[in-house]
Amino acid sequence: MYIIQNAMQNLLRNKGRNLMMAAIIFVVIVSSVVALIINNTASGVINDYKTRFGSEVYLTVNMEKVIQESDGSSRIARPTIPAEQLLAFASSDYLLSTKMTAGGRGNSDDLKAIDEDKGPGGGPMLSMGPVPGGGGPGDSNLSSIPKTRQYYYHLFANQYDDFESGSRELTEGSRFPEKSGECLISQELLENSGLAIGDTIKINSDINDPGTGPGDETYYDIEFQLTIVGTYQDLTDEYGNSMMENAFTNRRNEIFMYIDDLASVVTEGLMGIDVNATYYLKDPDLLEAFTAELRAKGLKETFDVTTDEASYNAIVGPVVAMKGISLTFVAIVLAFGAIIVALLASLAVRERKYEIGVLRAMGMKKSRVALGLWTETITITAFCLVIGLAVGGFAAQPITNILLDQQVEAAEQAQSNSFMPQPGGSGPVAIGGGPAGPTVTAGPAPGFFGQTSAETIKSIDVAINLETILEIIVIALVLSSLAGLIAIRRITKYEPMKILMERN
Amino acid sequence: MTTILSLDNVSYAYEGTTKNVLQNMSADFETGLVYTIIGKSGAGKTTLLSLLSGLDVATDGRILVGKASLKKINRDTYRSRHVGVVFQSYNLLTNATALQNIVLSMSISHCPQKNKKAYAYALLKKIGIDRETADRKILKLSGGEQQRVAIARALAHNPAILIADEPTGNLDKETEDDILNIFARLAREEDRCIIIVTHSKRVTAIADVVYRIQDGCLTAENG
Ligand SMILES: Nc1ncnc2c1ncn2[C@@H]1O[C@H](COP(=O)(O)OP(=O)(O)OP(=O)(O)O)[C@@H](O)[C@H]1O
Ligand SMILES: [Mg+2]
Repeated sequence: MYIIQNAMQNLLRNKGRNLMMAAIIFVVIVSSVVALIINNTASGVINDYKTRFGSEVYLTVNMEKVIQESDGSSRIARPTIPAEQLLAFASSDYLLSTKMTAGGRGNSDDLKAIDEDKGPGGGPMLSMGPVPGGGGPGDSNLSSIPKTRQYYYHLFANQYDDFESGSRELTEGSRFPEKSGECLISQELLENSGLAIGDTIKINSDINDPGTGPGDETYYDIEFQLTIVGTYQDLTDEYGNSMMENAFTNRRNEIFMYIDDLASVVTEGLMGIDVNATYYLKDPDLLEAFTAELRAKGLKETFDVTTDEASYNAIVGPVVAMKGISLTFVAIVLAFGAIIVALLASLAVRERKYEIGVLRAMGMKKSRVALGLWTETITITAFCLVIGLAVGGFAAQPITNILLDQQVEAAEQAQSNSFMPQPGGSGPVAIGGGPAGPTVTAGPAPGFFGQTSAETIKSIDVAINLETILEIIVIALVLSSLAGLIAIRRITKYEPMKILMERN
Repeated sequence: MTTILSLDNVSYAYEGTTKNVLQNMSADFETGLVYTIIGKSGAGKTTLLSLLSGLDVATDGRILVGKASLKKINRDTYRSRHVGVVFQSYNLLTNATALQNIVLSMSISHCPQKNKKAYAYALLKKIGIDRETADRKILKLSGGEQQRVAIARALAHNPAILIADEPTGNLDKETEDDILNIFARLAREEDRCIIIVTHSKRVTAIADVVYRIQDGCLTAENG
C-alpha cells in the first residue's frame, strides 16, 4: 500500500523532526514501562499478602464493651462463643475454609501416663494460666485441688501443627481420628499402658460453670469411650516449652480426639474445654458481609470480627506506598506525555500543511492523508515501544530497589517515632490488657500474631509480564491515536487550495 | 469533440471579501482543443483555474463536468482521476525526489501501471528530465526542471482535462516548444481538453480558443 510506503519515506526524509518525536515518545514509554512494572509487581505482592493475612478472620473480645455491659460489677466474666455457634459460623458462604480446633484435659483408668510419678497438673484455673511451681505430688497448690480436678492428659482435636512441621509422625498402620469415638495417642503411652491399636479406653473429663469465681465452680463430668486408631512418634522434647515437668505437661501424654466429640459438649458459658475456630474468607473484602452474617447468627457485640490488618499493613506498607508513587508517576507521565504528543502532532500538521495541501490537491482523501500521518506516528511509537520495553525492563529493578528502600526507611522511622510498640496496634485487644488469651478468643488476637510474623517486605523482584506489555501497548496505541486524531481534526479544517495559497 | 467542462454563470469572491474576482462567467471547454486564458496580472486567471480543477468552489453559478455539477460529485476523485494541474508555483513535495513525486501522484490516482517507476522515468525523460535528475530532491532542481516535473506529474495519470498555470514561464524557447508540442498532440491525438493560462505569445499561437479575463469577465478573443 502506497500510504505505508510513503509514510516510511517521510520518516526517512524528516529525520530530525522524527527523532525528536521518537525521543519524547521513548521517554513516555520507558517511564510508563518502569512505573507499570513496579505497579503490577507491587499489586501482585499486595494481593498475595492480602489473601494470606487478610483472609484469616479473628473473633476477639472487645474488653471495652465487656466492661460497659458489666454494669460496674466487680467480677467480669470473659465472654465466650458457644461451640454450636462456632460451628454455625463455619457454614457461611463467604468462607473458603474453616479450621475448628478444641483442647481440654482428662484422666483415664485405662492408661498409665508417662512420668506418672511426677504427678498430675492442671486445675480449675488452668485455662487462665497454668498453676505455677514444680507440680509435684506434694505441691501446696495442687493439694487444695480435688483429686478428680487434677489431670494427667491433654485432650486435643484438630491440632496437628506438629505433624505438619514434621516433629511428630504417625507410626505405621496409624491414622488420625476420622469419626466420633476414635483417638490417637503417643506410641510411648500405648506401650506404657500395655495397650494395642484397636483397644478401647475410657477417658474422664469435665466442663465447668465458673460461677462467681474460684470456689463457686460447678463441675459437670463427661466420659469419652474411645478406640485407639493410631499412635504417633514424638520427635520433640518431652516438655516442649513448658516450665513445669509433670505428667500433664509431658507431650507424650497428649491425646488426639475427633473434633465433634470434644467440641459438642461445650455450651455457652462453660469452661474447661476450649473450642477455637479459624475462618478463612474467600476474599478479604468479604469481611463486612461476613461480620453481618455472624451477628445475625448470634455473635455477641462484645466480640470484634477482624482480620490481621496490622501485620498486613506492617508487611506490605512500603510496597503499597511504592505502588502509590508509581501510580502517581504513571498518571503524571501519561498526562504530560499526552499533552506533549498532542502538541507535537499539532505542530507536525502545521509544519506539514504545505505537504498536506499538495497531497490533497492531487486528490488524496483526507482520511488517507490522516492514515499516512498516523502510520508515521505508529511506526515511531512501535520503534520506541520495542526499545522502551527493553530499557524499561532493565531499569525497573534498580528503580524499584531505590523506591522501596526509601519507603522501608520511612516506615521504620515512623515506627520508631510511634508510641505504639507494634505497627497499627490500636485494635481493641490493647484495652484488654495483654494479648487476649487463646482460651477465650476464637483464634489468636491480631496484635499477638502481628508481632511475631510481621516482617516488612524489604525487597521485591520485579519482572515484566504479559499484562504490563499489553498495558504499554494500549498506552502507546492510545497516545499515537491521539496524535492521529489531532492530525485529522486539523486536516479537515483546511481546504487544499487555501493551504497552498497561504504558502504562496 | 464533446463539451467536458462548462462554466455556467460563475461568480467568485474570496472568503472575507465582497468584491467578485470572477463575475458571471459562462464558457464551454471541449475535448480535442487547446484553450488559453490570458489577462493582466491579478485578473483572476489562477482563481478561475482553481475552480475548474475542483480545488475551490464557485460562490455563485455552477461548474459542470460533463453534465454533473462539480458541487455534487466527489472533488477528490475528480482531482485525482479526471484532471491534471500544473500549478503556477509547481506545488511539488520539495523533500521528495522528482520520481517519488510522480509515483506518489500515480498511486493516489490509482494508475493501473504495474511498474510505476519505469513509467515515471519514461515520462520524465519525455519532457527532458534524465534519470539522474529524476532521483534528486525537488529542492535541488532548477526552476525550469521543477516546472517540468510539475508538468510530468499533471500528465502522469492521463487525465481527460489538463489545466496548466503558466507552465512554460521558466523554460527556454526550445523546451517550451517541446512542451507545447506535447500539449497539442494530447489534444489532437488523444482528445484531451487542455486549458493553459499564459502570458506567452508562443503558447497562444497553438491555441484553438483564447479567452481573456478582464474586469472579472471572460470573453473569447477573435483570431
Ligand atoms: N486568498 C485570497 N484572498 C483574497 N484575495 C485574493 C486571494 N488570492 C488572490 N486574491 C486576489 O484575487 C485576484 C486574482 O488573483 P489571481 O491569483 O487569480 O490572479 P492571476 O490572474 O492569476 O494573476 P497572475 O498573473 O499574477 O498570476 C487578485 O487581485 C488577488 O489579489
Ligand atoms: Mg496566477
